[in-house]
Amino acid sequence: MQLSARDVSVSFSGVHAIEAVSFEVARDEIVGLVGPNGAGKTTMINVLTGFQRPTAGRVLLAGEDVTGQSAGWFARHGVVRTFQAVRLFQRLTVQENLEAAFAGAGIGRMEARHRSAALLDYLGLAASAGREAGTLNYGDERRVGIARALALSPGFLLLDEPAAGMNIAEAEALAATIRRIHADYGCGIVLIEHNMRLVSAICDRLHVLASGRTVSRGAPAEVMADPHFREAYLGAEAVA
Amino acid sequence: MTAYAAAPHAIRPAERLSEIWRRSATLLVLIAAIALLALLAGQADAVLQRRVIFCLVNLVAVVGLYIFMGNSGVLNFSVVGFMAIGAYTSALLSMPAAMKGTFLPDLPLWLGAMQVPHMLALLTAGVVPALIALLVGFPIMRLSGIGAAIATLSLLFIAYIVLGNWDSLTGGQGSLMGLQTYVKLPVAAAVAGGAVAVAFWFQETRWGIALRASREDEVAARASGIRIPRVRLIAFVLGAFVAGVAGALFAHFQGTLRVENFYLDLTFLLMTMLVVGGSRSLTGAVAGTFAISLVTELLRQTEVGVTLPGAAVTLQTPAGLGDVALAGVMLVIILFRPNGISGGREIDEMWRRRAGRKHRKLPEERNA
Repeated sequence: MQLSARDVSVSFSGVHAIEAVSFEVARDEIVGLVGPNGAGKTTMINVLTGFQRPTAGRVLLAGEDVTGQSAGWFARHGVVRTFQAVRLFQRLTVQENLEAAFAGAGIGRMEARHRSAALLDYLGLAASAGREAGTLNYGDERRVGIARALALSPGFLLLDEPAAGMNIAEAEALAATIRRIHADYGCGIVLIEHNMRLVSAICDRLHVLASGRTVSRGAPAEVMADPHFREAYLGAEAVA
Repeated sequence: MTAYAAAPHAIRPAERLSEIWRRSATLLVLIAAIALLALLAGQADAVLQRRVIFCLVNLVAVVGLYIFMGNSGVLNFSVVGFMAIGAYTSALLSMPAAMKGTFLPDLPLWLGAMQVPHMLALLTAGVVPALIALLVGFPIMRLSGIGAAIATLSLLFIAYIVLGNWDSLTGGQGSLMGLQTYVKLPVAAAVAGGAVAVAFWFQETRWGIALRASREDEVAARASGIRIPRVRLIAFVLGAFVAGVAGALFAHFQGTLRVENFYLDLTFLLMTMLVVGGSRSLTGAVAGTFAISLVTELLRQTEVGVTLPGAAVTLQTPAGLGDVALAGVMLVIILFRPNGISGGREIDEMWRRRAGRKHRKLPEERNA
């Protein structure tokens, strides 16, 4: 089973955010989506989760054309994302944040409560269950964001910079968590991440975007050795 | 192990019971407060009793307002319009045929002859606004912010103008008199308790939590698979039902009905009650209604004039101060305590937070 974008373009009043990009992820892989800022990575995730209708091209889920379905539809069909800005339900408790997502998946409240507790346990967040989400520290906030996504039993999980702002130890713990989720849920994972060490450690494949176009793709080692990648990404980083 | 969270968790009956008990603490306290108020008022003089009944009728309306506005965070000015529809529905169904002949000679024959039991009329007074809410809510539920505020305000205007000019059905701008005044303390308290229970039940359902989530972040709610227009519509319809019942109570408390009773004054009063109490919790809806009722009652007494015991002075405030004070209270709360008296929390949450501060050491914040 695959989630894929075929020749997708998105343009905002004439300016291309992404142009003729094809991307795919299967359920048995972790794919890193990398590239400099403004490359169109988040736009790609928006397209793959129904938050952005492509100006051209198609989105396919398990071979079926699902272009133009709503974001809610994608979520209910197991294509679930997190946000760079996390976007927790600030004045609800951590537990309620998860219950809301279970509700979105059509699960009754009592059942949702127990599943939420189990899910928080799974991610080591049980101690924070009763806290208001707005009072969490940065790392916990991001992990709750992932927990909330897992409440929808994802077939595909798209993580938008989940390690942003984390220190090395936290990022490594997160990498282990992502691998564990991949194994336990059997879900395909798309990971936007700037930390190349993290990305190459856990991804099966990388897809490199720059200025809205695909510049390189393949196994991490191949991509890292690709001069196009070095120019588009490391070059830009070195200058900055 | 696959799809970890998808594995259903077996819930033991004992677990279920203790869970229900723990969750229901808020509801029990709120209902106890209503019962206590009614019992105390039962010992008071007739004038004060009427004030308390009026407070309880308002509470039903505020709860109707809360169900949609509190949970969704979307402004709703239409509640009083639904109250009016409920009031006239109940009046038309329960007035004796002779009375209808006098006040509404142009009623359709079948309606003119109809007289149903009060409880059935009360229920219908909820159902009719709920059906109308279902119809008009369908397009409106996609709106948020200013759009929703203007749309719901328009609904209030439409209800007011239609009811005020549909002479054959409502008597237009005139008064409808001779309604049976069966709404005494027990009825008012029972219905208020029922309304609070309905609101509590709703916020405990999956639609309730989904709606509250959409209030916090619409984008994240959509990413969580929540159908925002649908859960909003459920609350809007339920809120209209409760508001319609409140309108019927109002009609059978006053005994007379005028369209102008259901307009901006009442809308502002109900809004103030909800906002002052804290619009994000049912506890807030109840606390705000009680608090504002108390304030308006005290101000009304000073408008009449209060003689201080032991002093030969009579305190009297100028007429109209009550309305000014109401607006003042609203302003002060919005400026200094925007989450209202309750802070937007339910009683059990306040309790747990207090206990938590005493006993539990929170994990240290890293970059706070």
